[in-house]
Amino acid sequence: MTDPTQIFQLALTFEAFTDIQFWTSVGIIAGIFVIFATGLQLNVGFTGIQNFGQVGFMAIGAYTMAILTAESGWNFWLSLPVAIAAAIAFGLIIGLPSLRLRADYFAIVTIAAAEAIRIVALNARDLTNGPQGVFGFADSWNSVSDSIEEFIVDLGWTDVPSQFPLFLVTWGLAIGLMFAFSRMTRTPWGRVLRAVREDEDAARALGKNAFSYKLQSLALAATTGAIAGFLFALNLKFVVPDEFQPLVTFTGYAVLILGGLANYWGVALGSIVLWSVLEGLRFLELPLSETKIAALRFMILGFVLIGLMAFRPQGFFGNRKEMVLGD
Amino acid sequence: MTDAAAAAADATAASPKGRSLFEATEIHKQFGGIQAVRGATMEVEEGSITALIGPNGAGKTTFFNLITGFYRPDRGKAVFDGREIQSRPPYVIARMGMVRTFQITKALAAMPVIDNMMLAAPDQPGERFTNIVFRPLGWRKREAEVHEQAIELLDVFNLAKLAEEYAGTLSGGQRKLLELARALMAQPRFLLLDEPMAGINPTLGRRLLDHMQRLRSEDGVTFLFIEHDMEVVMNHSDRVIVMAEGQVIADGEPHEVRSDKAVIDAYLGGGGGTATGAGAS
Repeated sequence: MTDPTQIFQLALTFEAFTDIQFWTSVGIIAGIFVIFATGLQLNVGFTGIQNFGQVGFMAIGAYTMAILTAESGWNFWLSLPVAIAAAIAFGLIIGLPSLRLRADYFAIVTIAAAEAIRIVALNARDLTNGPQGVFGFADSWNSVSDSIEEFIVDLGWTDVPSQFPLFLVTWGLAIGLMFAFSRMTRTPWGRVLRAVREDEDAARALGKNAFSYKLQSLALAATTGAIAGFLFALNLKFVVPDEFQPLVTFTGYAVLILGGLANYWGVALGSIVLWSVLEGLRFLELPLSETKIAALRFMILGFVLIGLMAFRPQGFFGNRKEMVLGD
Repeated sequence: MTDAAAAAADATAASPKGRSLFEATEIHKQFGGIQAVRGATMEVEEGSITALIGPNGAGKTTFFNLITGFYRPDRGKAVFDGREIQSRPPYVIARMGMVRTFQITKALAAMPVIDNMMLAAPDQPGERFTNIVFRPLGWRKREAEVHEQAIELLDVFNLAKLAEEYAGTLSGGQRKLLELARALMAQPRFLLLDEPMAGINPTLGRRLLDHMQRLRSEDGVTFLFIEHDMEVVMNHSDRVIVMAEGQVIADGEPHEVRSDKAVIDAYLGGGGGTATGAGAS
């Protein structure tokens, strides 16, 4: 017979909340997804273009940086702007022919383009090392990370988690980008984007080159995708094709839905909640096998999303009025 | 006596006959098997208020779409202010000063009324991405001017108190007015209105017509408007162009057009045998 007290012990253990090593790594992932979804927010929430290929930009950013640094011997810092430029160029290549399509067709094109990137990465072994991936690009970052760590130790915190510098840089960038993007969308430029979202023909009839604004929006999303890709690569210390599944984009959309459309701070909260719930549920102590608990985590996340859709469809910070009128 | 004559001469000089602001020549457009516009040719005089009428399906709205860049004509030429426009995109045509509204209003629903208005203003440097990055405050001054203009115009159309409301909360008539006010924010020289009076109450409709007259006399704005209300067409336009089955079938002053046999046939009969019956009635 099972001890009844054991069943009721499903509450989270106290250590779950104090394991700073663990929460640092959750924080990094959450921060990376804030950056990732900041560009998505610009596309989906502000411009009305359904970009389902954001992970493709992430892959291009990560791979370009990794290959240039580890295999072509480039300076790590120099590889970053080049990788961003590569992601933007890819955005323009898919945007130029397909942004004139209707929203749903554009979504299909982008998802296919991102998959094409992943499959090329998997098969172009000479360039990408195939499924083994690319290693050894993180030296420059590691030395920066070490000096940040030393600095923190000097301040008096001695047991700094090794990933803590990456956490700081990720969130620094995330907050900086959110701030910059929310400033940008409050300018006349952002007003044109919203007009394109509402009615492209009306915008064009008022002298706005809607197509050019959609391309600009996509290029900026590509930029944030590439930046998220750098951090993702530095977090894992390697780049493999399998990390760039379409699921990554869908998770980005879950972040958007949780946080609410057309609001950047929603993206931050959405990402923190999503990853805290998803990762925090690892500490659930249930009389179940580990694989079952792993599956349960996603089920619970699914219920959270369904519940949110039912009771607060605009997300945490979305504007319900704007959402209803937008249709 | 001589003064009056001089004034009359001035008046005719101010709106010289023949100075056409817009010309369309032999515009054709086919959709699948349907020839929507078949060789429409017309001229619009500068400073005139010209009505474009015709039975349903005559191709009036298609013609609007063709000359504002929303559709590309299969054949034909459109010239605005001496420049060919038939292959230019809509936003270029709008920036040239030829601005249109839509039959089914296109209010930007999830944007406040004031943003709808300010969006339309030309020459806002803050609409360029490079400007907002490198001169982050450079657009503020223009924005303030535009805001002032927008409020003034909204006032004309009784919409000022709704400035901060979402456009989607406006009634159908209010949206129509907003769309017209928004088009005026773009500082057009040539304004194309697709059924501006539809769905507006008569009081506001009169206000709108008065405003059109004022814009014409004060700012020299030229109007081409599609309208079904014959009372409005006959009393408020200088010229009437009639389309039927994709062609221009009559063009003249309101009283001329009213008695034109082809027009009466087009409205009442359609082609063939019924035409004689309609002509007789």
